[in-house]
Amino acid sequence: MADLIKLSGLQRYYEVGGETVKALDGVDLIINHNEYISIMGPSGSGKSTMMNMIGCLDSPTNGTYEFEGEKVHEMDDNQLASIRNRKIGFVFQTFNLLPKLTALRNVELPLIYANIPKDERLELAEIAMEKVSLTDRMHHKPNELSGGQRQRVAIARALVTNPSIILADEPTGNLDSKSGVEIMDVFDELHREGNTIILVTHEAYIAKHAYRTIHILDGRIEKDAQNKTTKQRKIQSKKKATA
Amino acid sequence: MFAYVESLRMALSAIWDNKLRAVLTTLGIIIGILAVTLMGTLISGLDRSFENSMSFLGRDVLYIAKHEWFGQEEWWEIRNRPDLKVDYIEKLKNQSKYVIAAAPVAMRSVNITRKDEMAMGINLAGTTPEFAQTAFMNIESGRFYTEGEERSGARVIAIGYDVANVLFENENPIGKKVKIGNYVFRVVGVTEKQGKFLGLFSMDNRAIIPLGTYQRLFARRGWMRLDVKVDDKHIDEAKDEIIAIMRRLRGLHPEEKNDFAVNQQDAFRQQYQTMKIAIGGTGLFITVLSLVVGGVGIMNIMFVSVKERTKEIGVRKAIGATQGSIMRQFLLEALLICLFGGCIGIILALGGSFLIDKFVFPSTMPVSLAFISLILSSFVGVVAGLAPSYKAARLDPIEALRYE
Repeated sequence: MADLIKLSGLQRYYEVGGETVKALDGVDLIINHNEYISIMGPSGSGKSTMMNMIGCLDSPTNGTYEFEGEKVHEMDDNQLASIRNRKIGFVFQTFNLLPKLTALRNVELPLIYANIPKDERLELAEIAMEKVSLTDRMHHKPNELSGGQRQRVAIARALVTNPSIILADEPTGNLDSKSGVEIMDVFDELHREGNTIILVTHEAYIAKHAYRTIHILDGRIEKDAQNKTTKQRKIQSKKKATA
Repeated sequence: MFAYVESLRMALSAIWDNKLRAVLTTLGIIIGILAVTLMGTLISGLDRSFENSMSFLGRDVLYIAKHEWFGQEEWWEIRNRPDLKVDYIEKLKNQSKYVIAAAPVAMRSVNITRKDEMAMGINLAGTTPEFAQTAFMNIESGRFYTEGEERSGARVIAIGYDVANVLFENENPIGKKVKIGNYVFRVVGVTEKQGKFLGLFSMDNRAIIPLGTYQRLFARRGWMRLDVKVDDKHIDEAKDEIIAIMRRLRGLHPEEKNDFAVNQQDAFRQQYQTMKIAIGGTGLFITVLSLVVGGVGIMNIMFVSVKERTKEIGVRKAIGATQGSIMRQFLLEALLICLFGGCIGIILALGGSFLIDKFVFPSTMPVSLAFISLILSSFVGVVAGLAPSYKAARLDPIEALRYE
């Protein structure tokens, strides 16, 4: 099986006021299925560009990006839209739910762009709402939900197409600490169920939820390390369960 | 397929969220559609009443007069022309193989009285019994006067429907006496109700007496017209022949111009066509102008809408909306706003045409016009929505997501 994500020599340059900004300057990275990764870095490090790149929202200036063997760096806008739709689930810091639609409708939205018939859409959307334990809030609009609930709706929306990766950009950044913990529990659970999760954050304690942390500085990978061994984790979670 | 249904649903809910704005924006379209439909209704109504009026002037009746209808001749030229004579009638009938009936008509305005009742401003025509054929006139009750009465100069009169109503409210006028000035006439017939000619003068507001009587009592000389009914299969030939006969009767040399004119319905038709083009042209101008203004308004509001929903567009793109689906969503929105305006325009026009029908003249809005209006407003919607939708579709998702 091909690597889930393979970046080689990836560069992304911007022209700003006649000067070339090297947002990403030669990134090599391989991400496998069912990894739980956090990407860290100070602002201006290229962290956001990295996320946009992995999320297929942006195209590299140089280098290659393969997603499950598909050459993302050669794709046009429509192909990018399609791969975002099928393979990537986004979770944003500011939730980015459409305020006029109910929670269920928001979750249903990616399926509309995937051309799935209405009955099936609703069924899949309800299943996704169940996964984030929000079946009782399906017909509420975003402004009738708490921040934590909104983020869970957003996670359900990311999950609904059964994507290859879930890409979360500061998912707890707009939440109080209690809701933040709840949301991180949801990500942990999703990872246990076999999903691949990439968190972009600047908070160390959030990054620690991941098994592997990638530090970015000045457009390059500065450090790429496993957080704890899987064994340590298992022990920890068992302790938690018994406590 | 789902994509289209969903785009439609999204567009509808977007409009619903901004109902008032949509209504205000669509005002130009409403006015445009109102203009085009009302103008069409007006023209169709005019057409109908024109055709109705034209039935008073038979297609196969030629009207010989001193001047041309809607002609360009100067009045002093016409004034110096010799009067038409009654004996031309017999000569025309004898010399032309196309003439079926012919009647000389002299006319003046009079007041008709009976006891205390008075009918004022009545068109009194002096003519021969053949007038019944050339004028497409039917007698409702009684009879028209006879050749004998005509020749003997009998004081008999046929009165129009309205005249009968004014003078004889609940009575049968046949056999009763009426007075024109000091002359007493016996009513022999009442003509059928005919309506107005071009909405101007009533054909029921007239009276007819024998020409001989007319000439003896009112005017021996003066304005006269010859109405000639010809074979309707050979109208053009008949016209040429009559002109030739008239020239001979008048003793005109070949190089001299006609000192008379042979008129026909076509003169009115041409005049009417000119007027119709003027009305239609004005209508078209107003329509195009308001549709352009309306279209620019729609375009403007769509740009605002795209701007306002930049973030939404970013989210939609992030979760997989293609440029095509974003484009479709906004185009549909512009189209629906315009269609909506078109529908309001049509509804208002229906009301307007009802009022015209009731108070001006009989008319209905042609169904085809409603369809044309809908197509027209859709077209405006698509054209006006094109640039904003394209802008929305081309937004960079990263920029759009960052937009607050």
